Amino acid sequence: MRKKIERTGLVLLNLFFIAVCFGALVPILYAFSVSLNASNSILGSDFSFIPRQFTFANYRAVIIEQPVLLWFRNTVILAVSSVAISLLVAIPAAYSLSRFRFVGRLKIVGGLVLLHSFPAILSMFAIYRLLSPIGLVNTKAGIVLIYIGTMAMFGVLNLKGYFDSVPLEIEEAASIDGANTRQTVTTILLPLAKPTIIVTGIMVLIFVWNEYIYAITFMTGARNYTLAAGLYSLQATEMSGSWPVFASASIVVSLPILVIFFMTQKHMQSGLTAGGVKG
Amino acid sequence: MWKLKTDKCVLRSWLCLSPSLLIIGLIIVFPMIYTAYISLTNMNIYNWFDFEIIGLVNYGRALLVFDSGFLHALSVTFLWTAANMILQLVIAFVMASLLNVGKLRLRRVYKTILMFPWAMPGYVSILLWRNGMFNSQFGLLNQWLDRLGFDPVRWLADDVTAFISCLAVNLWLALPFMIMIIDGALQSVDKSYYESALIDGAGWFDRSVKLTIPAIRPIIGPAVIITLFTTFKQFDVIYLLTQQVGAKTGANIHTVLTYTYETAFVTSNYGYSSAISMCIFALLMGLTLLVKTKQRRRNA
Amino acid sequence: MKRKIIAGFMAFLLLAVLAACDSAGTTPSVPDAPDAPDAVELIIWHDKEDAVAAELQAELDKLNPEIIVSLEKKHGLTEALKMSGNDPRAAPDMYFFAHDKLGVYAEMGLLAPVTDFVDAVTLDGFLPMTISAATYKGEVYQLPIYFETLLFMYNRAFMSDEDVPATTEDLYAYMQEVTKDGFYGFLEQHSEAYFSAGWIHGFGGEMISSDGVPQLNSEKTIAALNYHLKFVRLMIGESDYATTNTLFREGMAASTIGGPWLVPAVREAGIDLGLSEMPVVNETGLPLAPFSGVQGLHVLKVAADNADKNAAIGKVLNQLCNTDIGVSMAQASGSAPAFEECYELDTVQGDDMVMLMRKVAEDAVPMPSIPEMDVMWNAVNNMLVDVNMRRVDVEEAANKAQARAEELIAAMR
Repeated sequence: MRKKIERTGLVLLNLFFIAVCFGALVPILYAFSVSLNASNSILGSDFSFIPRQFTFANYRAVIIEQPVLLWFRNTVILAVSSVAISLLVAIPAAYSLSRFRFVGRLKIVGGLVLLHSFPAILSMFAIYRLLSPIGLVNTKAGIVLIYIGTMAMFGVLNLKGYFDSVPLEIEEAASIDGANTRQTVTTILLPLAKPTIIVTGIMVLIFVWNEYIYAITFMTGARNYTLAAGLYSLQATEMSGSWPVFASASIVVSLPILVIFFMTQKHMQSGLTAGGVKG
Repeated sequence: MWKLKTDKCVLRSWLCLSPSLLIIGLIIVFPMIYTAYISLTNMNIYNWFDFEIIGLVNYGRALLVFDSGFLHALSVTFLWTAANMILQLVIAFVMASLLNVGKLRLRRVYKTILMFPWAMPGYVSILLWRNGMFNSQFGLLNQWLDRLGFDPVRWLADDVTAFISCLAVNLWLALPFMIMIIDGALQSVDKSYYESALIDGAGWFDRSVKLTIPAIRPIIGPAVIITLFTTFKQFDVIYLLTQQVGAKTGANIHTVLTYTYETAFVTSNYGYSSAISMCIFALLMGLTLLVKTKQRRRNA
Repeated sequence: MKRKIIAGFMAFLLLAVLAACDSAGTTPSVPDAPDAPDAVELIIWHDKEDAVAAELQAELDKLNPEIIVSLEKKHGLTEALKMSGNDPRAAPDMYFFAHDKLGVYAEMGLLAPVTDFVDAVTLDGFLPMTISAATYKGEVYQLPIYFETLLFMYNRAFMSDEDVPATTEDLYAYMQEVTKDGFYGFLEQHSEAYFSAGWIHGFGGEMISSDGVPQLNSEKTIAALNYHLKFVRLMIGESDYATTNTLFREGMAASTIGGPWLVPAVREAGIDLGLSEMPVVNETGLPLAPFSGVQGLHVLKVAADNADKNAAIGKVLNQLCNTDIGVSMAQASGSAPAFEECYELDTVQGDDMVMLMRKVAEDAVPMPSIPEMDVMWNAVNNMLVDVNMRRVDVEEAANKAQARAEELIAAMR
C-alpha cells in the first residue's frame, strides 16, 4: 500500500517537475526556436516552438563572424582565476570567523553584512581612481580584482554559515588523534563542506560569466571583451535588429555554464552523510 | 575539553582574514570612503578636476530629492522587497524539498534545467522577456491570449501589471540561486527530515516548520540577507523592463534607485549624487540596525 | 599555517602573472615595429559599426610607419571618457563620436580645439552647418567627417512613390485608411525625445534655447504635442527601438522615421525601401525637422599636451580633410560627408541616399551641444511618456517637464 502511494507520488512529482521546467524554460525555448528559424521572423500570431524551416545560419553567424572564441577564452581566464582566488582567500577567512574567538570577530561579521547596503552605482568611478595609479585599468588582473572583491563578502559569509553548522566534536576527535589544525581542516572539514564550496564557486563563476558592466567600463577594444560584454556591445549596435542572431548568441553564452552545473551536480550530493550530525 | 580556540590564535585569525579583508577594503570599502569624500565637494562637469570641499551643501540639496516622489518610490521598494523575499523563500524551499525526494532519479536533469535562467546574463533574459513575452503585439503572452479569444494586454504599461510582470521576471531570475542555496543546505541536515515528503504531506509540513527550517536557517542566513539587500537595490529588472531611456513603457513604477538615478545621477553632478548615495546607504543601514536590535530584544 | 601563507603568495603570484600577461596582451595590436623606432602610436576610441571603423583605419594606415593609429571600439564611450579623459595612462588620444557631447567634455576641460592642428582655410572646406555644430563657446572641438539625420522611410510594397505623404494631414489620412489588425500605416518611436523632436521643431518649437533655458511649456511645444497625439493613437503602444523597427522590417508597418543605420538591416530583410523627405506640417508649413548629428574626431587635451604626440595628431587630422575619406565613410555609414568638395564628385551626386540626407539635414536641427542638453533627454522623455502613454493633460505634462528640466539643470551645478 505504502509502496503504491509512493509510486503514484513519484509519477506525479515527475509530471510536476516536467511542467515546472517547461514553464521556466518558456522564454529560453522561445529564444531557441527563434535562433533556429530560417524565416528570420519573430512575428505572426502563429509562433510555434518548433521552427518550420531549420537553419544553423544564425549560430554560424555568431561563431564565425564574431570573435566569440576569443571572448570565450577571455571569460574562461577571468572565471577560473576569480573562482580560484575567491575560494583561496574566503576559506581561511570563513574558517577563522567560524572557529576562532577573537576581539572584533562579531564586528567583522556584522560589518560584512552591512557593507551590502551601499548602493554601488557610483563605485565605478572610485574603483577607477583606485586601479588607474597601479596600472590595472584595461588589464585582466584589474577585472579579476574587482570580481573577487565584489564576491568576497558573499563567499566568506556563505562558507562561515556552513562551517558553523559542522559540530566541533568532529574536529575535536581528529585533534585527539594527533592531527593539527591544518590536517583537520584539509582532511575533515573541507571534504564535508564540499557542497557549499561548490555552491560558492559556482556563484562566483556565474557572476563573472554574466557580468558585463565592469568588463565594458574597464576593458577597451573588442578583443578584450568577455562573452557577456561582447554580446552586450553587439546587441546595442549591430545585432539590435537581428533577433535570431541575438537569440543564438544568448544560447551559446549560457551553454557552458549549464554543462559545468550538470557536471558538478554529483559532487554536491555528498557532504555530511545522513545521521553524521544531528541538529 | 577542546575549547574554542582563543587569544593565542588572534594573530593566526587575522592572518587568515587579511587577504579577504584587504580585497574587500579595496573594492568595497574604498569606494564608500571615496563617495563620502566626493559628497563633500562640488565635483560636477563645471568643476571636474578643480573641485573643492564645500562642506555639507550637497546634503542640504539631497534632502530636497526626498520628496513625495521619493517616498512613493520608497514604499514601492518595500513592497517589492517583501513580495520578492516571501515568494522566493517559500517557492525555493518547496522546490528544493521536492527535489530531494529520495527516489527522484531525474533530479540532476531537473536541477540543471531549473538553473538555466541563471546561466544567462541578466540583460539578455530581461530583453527576451520584454520583447518575446510581454510585447503587446508579438509577445508570446498576448499570442496565447489572442488564441484564447482575449484582447491583448499591454503588460508593462499599467502600474499594477507592470509591477507584477517585474516581480515575475525577478523571481524567474533569482529563484535558481535560492533553490541552489536551500538545496545545498538541505544536504547538510538529516535526510529523514525531508526525504519522505511524498508519503506524509501534513507530517512533512510540520516537520519542515519545526525541524528542517530551524536546522537550515543558519546555513542559508547569509545568502538570504544578501539577497534581501540585492532585492532592495535591484535596478536592472525594473529599469530595463519599464524605464529604459528610449524604451519607457508608460508604467510609473520606481524603486529608490531608479528614482534617484533619474533625478540625480543623470545630472553628472558627482558631489550631489554621492551625497544622495550616502543618504540611501544611511537609510538602509539604519533599517538593518533597527531590525537587528528588535530581533535581539525579542530573543532576550 | 604555512599552507595559508603559501596560498596567499600564490594568489598574488597569479595576479602578478596575469598582470604581466596583460601588459603584453593589451598594448595595441600593432607591434612595436622595430624597423620604425620613431613611430608615434595613437589610440582612437569609437563606438561605430565595424565597416565604418574599417574605412577610417584604412585611411589612417596611410600614415604608417611614421604614425601608427589603432582604433579601439569602446562601448559606453561617453561614461568612460568622464572617468579616464584626463588620465594619460588610460585615456585615448582622440575619439570618434557625435558632436552632441562636446559641450560637456569641453566644460570638463577634456578637449583641445581642433584649430590648434588644422588651419582655418582647411576648416572652411567643411559645410558651415557641420562646423557650427562642432563649435562650443567659440572654439571648434570636432573635426567633422559625416553627418546623419532621420529620414522618412517607406515600404514600396504598401506605399508607392507617388503616395508618399507631402503633408502631415496626408500622412494622417493614410494612417486612418490602412491601420488595422496589427498593421500600421506609420510607426515611429513616438515617446522618445530624439524621434519626437521632429514634431516639436515642425511647430517652430525647441527643447532648449541656445543659452540653456528649457522651452518645454512654450505654446509651440504644447501645440506640437497636442497635434502629435492623434498620430500616436494610430501607432502601437510601445515606443522602443526593437518593436518599431521589427514591425517595419517584418512588413507590418508601411512607413516609419529612421536613421541611416536602419537601412542595411531593412534591405537585408528583403524590403523594397523608399526614402523621402519629411512631410510638412499643414498648420505651420514647416517640415518635420528631426535632430541631426555630426560625427567626427575629437582631440583630448592630455594627448595634445604631450609633445611627442602633438605633431602626429595634427597629421592625423589633416589626413582626414579630403574627399576620399569623406566619401568612403559616408557610404559605409549611409550618411552625408561633411567635406564640401565631396559633393562635386559624381559618385556622391549619383548617390540618392547621400543627397537626400544632405537635403533633409538642411532643415534638421543639429543636436544642441550645450551641457544642459545632457539632462533634457530625460525631462523630454518623461513628458512624452506622460502625454502619449499615460494620457496626462498636455499642458500639465509640459509644465511638469519644464519644472523638472529646470531642476535637473540647476542640479548640474
